[in-house]
Amino acid sequence: MSSHPHTIAVGFDGSPDARGAATWALETAALLRAHVVLVYARGLLERHRDPAREFALLVGQLVGRAGFSPLHLSWHVGDGDALSVLLRATEAPVFADLLVVGSRGRDEHAGLLLGSTSLQLAERSPVPVVIVPTGHTLD
Amino acid sequence: MTLVTHEPLDDDGHAEPGHPERPERLRAAWAGVADLSLAGELVRVAPRTATRAELTRVHAGPYLDEVGAFSYGGGGDIDGDTYATYDSWPLAQRAAGAGLAVVEELRRRGDGVGFVAPRPPGHHATRDRAMGFCLINNVAVAAAALRDEGERVLVLDWDVHHGNGTQAIFWDDPTVLYVSSHQWPLFPGSGVAAEIGGLNALDGVVNLPLPAGATGDVVRQALEEVAAPVIDAFAPTFVLVSAGFDAHRDDPLADFMLSAGDFAALARFAVALAPGPGRLAFFLEGGYDLGALRSSVRATLAAALADERPNEAPTSGGPGHDQVRRILAERRETLDLVHAELEEGR
Repeated sequence: MSSHPHTIAVGFDGSPDARGAATWALETAALLRAHVVLVYARGLLERHRDPAREFALLVGQLVGRAGFSPLHLSWHVGDGDALSVLLRATEAPVFADLLVVGSRGRDEHAGLLLGSTSLQLAERSPVPVVIVPTGHTLD
Repeated sequence: MTLVTHEPLDDDGHAEPGHPERPERLRAAWAGVADLSLAGELVRVAPRTATRAELTRVHAGPYLDEVGAFSYGGGGDIDGDTYATYDSWPLAQRAAGAGLAVVEELRRRGDGVGFVAPRPPGHHATRDRAMGFCLINNVAVAAAALRDEGERVLVLDWDVHHGNGTQAIFWDDPTVLYVSSHQWPLFPGSGVAAEIGGLNALDGVVNLPLPAGATGDVVRQALEEVAAPVIDAFAPTFVLVSAGFDAHRDDPLADFMLSAGDFAALARFAVALAPGPGRLAFFLEGGYDLGALRSSVRATLAAALADERPNEAPTSGGPGHDQVRRILAERRETLDLVHAELEEGR
């Protein structure tokens, strides 16, 4: 088994921290020739939401700036809370071997509840997790 | 038969503009109770505030502290679905306490059917996370209290969403059986057939994930063919129903096609599982169309009280009959796999 990741899943909800995480993931994937999967956790009130279409322009800009081939980029939209959906991304059909998240998601309040999603992810994930600090963005 | 319920909660302070989980829901549910004109056959106990000891049977203490502090700090959005206000925390504790009070009264009387109308709803709340509109897992608090009194508790969850919180809380508990019929895929994404319980409670979870468009006959088939044999083997001494009514065809948050008449049929199924009077209680979970909620509460409780007044006709013909066979096969394969692994480990 190779020591570097082949599939990098990045939590992406369009927030500034998620953009930073995606930027880091795209730059890293370009160096490693890895595939990037943008993961969106669809909430109870969002069953008809299509983040791939909603964030197409934004993602296109991030991909272009990182020099990443869009052929190696895909989306995975999972139902549930961000923590559960990202953990499931390590299994079929995504099989991520690296998870990348920003320090704080779109709707996440600082410190609530029993630590942020990123910290809980780091505790529970079966694969390595990179938490990209706030402010890591090419904007 | 007597309906044992509680005085309505003062829940107006737990509200957010435009949010579907709103105070009008409970008014609709109570209107459904009033439609039954039960008069002397209606007993209302006073709701009480659940104690910390009662809540920490199912929730982590630090989680309770954080939600309480967040609420009393003015609240806000916890995630994209879930909110709290200043009033949410005392209300949530009283909602959980209302469930305990109803169950205690049922046991004291040894008679009647229980109905609990809490807000916020509960079945998505895990041991340490608020989500899916839920802060405290009301049905789990009641189930844990009954378990600690020596009861074997069946939690039957017919809300259209999988009760991930209840499942997780009792995952490895052989004295609580969790059975859920739900739309899949749909929030919260859990609830596949291969989730069958922890090593100490194999077969302690029965998930019936069914496709969008499923009608009442499909849900009943899944319950009768997949869940009923497991429930029979478990032999519950108490039945709690996570009675969400968002599987109704008019509900805006999901795509099942049930009618109020289907909920009456499901209620009769639940009655048949209870070992006797005073051993069955319905806990309101979801249900976001006010008219459907009112008619479904009325139909459910009427059926549970053996009142055969007419309802909307039960539905049939939706997709999912084939899925029932797949659920059975997937459960069997998973059980065989786990048993083989356990055998290898010996």
